[in-house]
Amino acid sequence: MRSLQTRFGEVTYNTKKVVHFPEGLLGFERLRDFIVIPNKNDDVLFCFQSVEENHVAFLLINPALFFPDYRVPVSTVVKDKLGIGTNDPYFVLTTITFHQDETVTLNLLAPVIYTPKTDRAVQIVLEGSGYSTKTPLKTGEASP
Amino acid sequence: MLVLTRKIGESIIIGENIKITILDHKEGRIRIGIQAPPEMKVLRLEVYERICQENKEASQWDSKKLDALNSLLSKKKDQK
Repeated sequence: MRSLQTRFGEVTYNTKKVVHFPEGLLGFERLRDFIVIPNKNDDVLFCFQSVEENHVAFLLINPALFFPDYRVPVSTVVKDKLGIGTNDPYFVLTTITFHQDETVTLNLLAPVIYTPKTDRAVQIVLEGSGYSTKTPLKTGEASP
Repeated sequence: MLVLTRKIGESIIIGENIKITILDHKEGRIRIGIQAPPEMKVLRLEVYERICQENKEASQWDSKKLDALNSLLSKKKDQK
């Protein structure tokens, strides 16, 4: 066990239960290990806290809830990086960005593929897909 | 920066396994062929930089935003 001072206060975690990004995220290539902070909607929303940089944490969401038609091709090269075979399960997640004007956007251009099998994750780039790094969540739709 | 002059059809090699070939040029645009190991990321620089910037923005947020998002998600799931 080890503890970490974060924006959520002090967090104690099991050093064996970390999610490993073998390549880091783009621009954060040196940060390889993250812990998942428990969260209310833990079936769709995940908070990944870096264990190497206290001030770095990403909120990752399953975009299917808002974008049911979003499809991500996961190549065998990516599966090799994740250490999984053809039929092993993986999840497609995207980072969330909060903006000054209260809008919330998802990065559909560069999703994160995570597999519980090896607890590894890789950020991939869907170049040429037409997806944007700042796809707005239509929060209005969720109001009754 | 190393500067090399190449003609169409000519290549350069970087390391042992990255080969870049000049394919064509037309109206100020140059087409380049790249052979690299499949596990290596090859991206247009501006796309790479846009994603780096987005990741940087996504790494900074406070817990209040998370609370607001959680209540939005709960509502959204109730609709389903």
